[in-house]
Amino acid sequence: MITIENLVKRRGSKEILTGISFQGRPGRVTGFLGPNGAGKSSTLRILLGLDRATSGTALIGSVPFVWLPDPLRTVGAMLDGSGAHRARTGQAHLRWVARSAGLPRARVDEVLEIVGLTNAASKRVGSYSMGMGRRLGLATALLGDPEILILDEPVNGLDPDGIRWMRTFLRERAASGRTVLLSSHLMGELAETVDDVVIINEGKVMADGTLDEVTGSYRTLEDAFFALTTGGSL
Amino acid sequence: MTTIPTLATRTHAREAAQALAAELSKLLSLPATWLTLGGTLAVNLILATAFTIAGLQGSTGTKSALDIGLASISYAQAGFVILGVLAACSEYTGGQIRTTLTAMPRRALQLSAKHLALAIVVLPAAAITAASGVVLTAAALGDAAVPVTSGHVAAALSGVTAYLALTTLISAAVGALVRQTLAAVVILLGYFFIVGPLLRDHTPAAKYLPDSAGFAMWFPVADNASAVTPAQGALLLTAWTIVLIAVALLGYRRRDS
Amino acid sequence: MRTLAAEASKLASLPSVWIALAAGVLVPSVIAGITASATLGAITRGAKTLAGVDTGYQELAFGVVGVIILGVVGISSEYFTESAESGGGRQVTTSLTAVPSRLRFLLAKISTIAITSALLAITAAATTMGVVQVVLGERAPALGADDVPRLVGVVCYWVYTALLAFGITVLTRHGVIPLAVLIANTSVVTVTYLLTKITPLANYLPDMAGVRMFIRKLADNTVEISPLTGGLVMTAWVTVLLVIAAIAFTRRDA
Repeated sequence: MITIENLVKRRGSKEILTGISFQGRPGRVTGFLGPNGAGKSSTLRILLGLDRATSGTALIGSVPFVWLPDPLRTVGAMLDGSGAHRARTGQAHLRWVARSAGLPRARVDEVLEIVGLTNAASKRVGSYSMGMGRRLGLATALLGDPEILILDEPVNGLDPDGIRWMRTFLRERAASGRTVLLSSHLMGELAETVDDVVIINEGKVMADGTLDEVTGSYRTLEDAFFALTTGGSL
Repeated sequence: MTTIPTLATRTHAREAAQALAAELSKLLSLPATWLTLGGTLAVNLILATAFTIAGLQGSTGTKSALDIGLASISYAQAGFVILGVLAACSEYTGGQIRTTLTAMPRRALQLSAKHLALAIVVLPAAAITAASGVVLTAAALGDAAVPVTSGHVAAALSGVTAYLALTTLISAAVGALVRQTLAAVVILLGYFFIVGPLLRDHTPAAKYLPDSAGFAMWFPVADNASAVTPAQGALLLTAWTIVLIAVALLGYRRRDS
Repeated sequence: MRTLAAEASKLASLPSVWIALAAGVLVPSVIAGITASATLGAITRGAKTLAGVDTGYQELAFGVVGVIILGVVGISSEYFTESAESGGGRQVTTSLTAVPSRLRFLLAKISTIAITSALLAITAAATTMGVVQVVLGERAPALGADDVPRLVGVVCYWVYTALLAFGITVLTRHGVIPLAVLIANTSVVTVTYLLTKITPLANYLPDMAGVRMFIRKLADNTVEISPLTGGLVMTAWVTVLLVIAAIAFTRRDA
């Protein structure tokens, strides 16, 4: 369970988040939608303890992320890019992450297999394509086989096959009772993946509910999204 | 699938050991670590050769294999400065810092583990680098060298090794504060090669600064009652290192990544 | 001309460039202040009678650290970034799409760095000499007609050093190594100076030859090289290096 309450983030005089609240529930894929610069990444960064909130709370279960006794096995996170140093091989990257949680080395080969990077495991991350970098990011998130997945723009940079694979994969995770929170600015890709939708714009939650509730009277999620984020003038 | 041990609460000791293992693994799998250490050793040997040739020609003013063999260290320390900066600043390449902090969110623990891992890697490397110049010079000078006691050699070599290791840790702390490789390298090398030596020549208080205090550990200023002794130098440099790491930890905990 | 303007604005947007400019002015003038007051102390104590012929110039030789940073960062920033958002992206791809001719791109960069270094050198020379005059007062070596060619020499030395740093960085594509080598070699006792102890040929290395343009008394050095010869030798080094860098840059993949 992910609980975000009244999150406010100020940078300088600019208020990036103005009181965001929503939840990500077990067994469901929650889509966190908004145009670029709406505050999606800032929210996820605060949730993961990378940035500090000016006020408000972001909890994993009942504690902030940084208090988790064993974070890697509780939450798997993938933010933009690969999250790996260019000069290391994909395998070496996963190995140090695995060591930080005392995971067995065999688990590294397993996640490489899951994301289809086995053949590129001993290549340097700098030589990876964007899609491969994203796959490595996902492999890192899956290392500890966590209850909760937090993914920032997971389909960005993936080819059509990759997008389809990601969709099935996330649905399976949710079906097994786990929590998935993903952010995206691509509506079409998401409508078939998510159960719950949170739409934010300029640091404010514009809509929050199940896919049907949010789509409401609009024809598609995409229409709802544009109506909510461009002032309803469609 | 591999059975991942169930989610039992980790003890703090276990968490710390795992953080250290992760940081060691990071450092050792970075090609830049090996290139820097290897390059530093090679440059040190080349410079030691140059100093030895100068020594054989009699233009160094000393015939001690120890003094000539260690003269190159004041240049080779640049390599250790770079290693420290790279260890800290490589986190900011490719967004690795996000992976690091989601895997090890206790920042003080993680950064301490990084410094400890760096110390473990750098101590043997520093010892080898320090000894390499002296061995080379001693072999080249042969009988021409002024004899020195083995106790004296051991003291000087351990002084140099400790100095290089502490300098590396200071560089990592500065790197963690500055977060940019080039800027950190400019600040540190500018200090160690330009500002530090000039202050040493012109202001008496400069002997308490990290570079001069560190030099006293292996390059004792003879016949001067107010000079810093090797033991005091070691103490001063250790204190500087601890203070700078503490400042880096504070900054690291407070700032957004 | 438009390429030049683009390069100038790129340079001005880099924080390290501003650090470089500050270092270029502050390092020589602050050091000159410290050494000049030490000299003044020595003169009033009677230990010395005159300030040395190289007062101020010696400090300007250390000041090149500013243009070293400028030369290195000016090109390494094209290859290497540490901002989280770019994920290690390379600006050079964008730059070369904007200016497809690589030679023109490189020439624009060289011109920008040369002009900036020259301006920086003039500012630094003025402040450093100003500090020397203020601190030493009438004990300062009088500035005369002889100083004009020497100050021109300082400017040449700074511009050449910036271009050397630039050329090496084009070849290495990463700034750390050239920075380390060149800054280490700006220390009080430079590596190249030590090499002159082994072979007199080392006097013809770029920096050893270049400083002859404005330094009159090198400690413990008996090899005589005239300012003009020194300048020409350094010019030759810089030219050769830039030609090699240009060939490498135009031939390899961006």
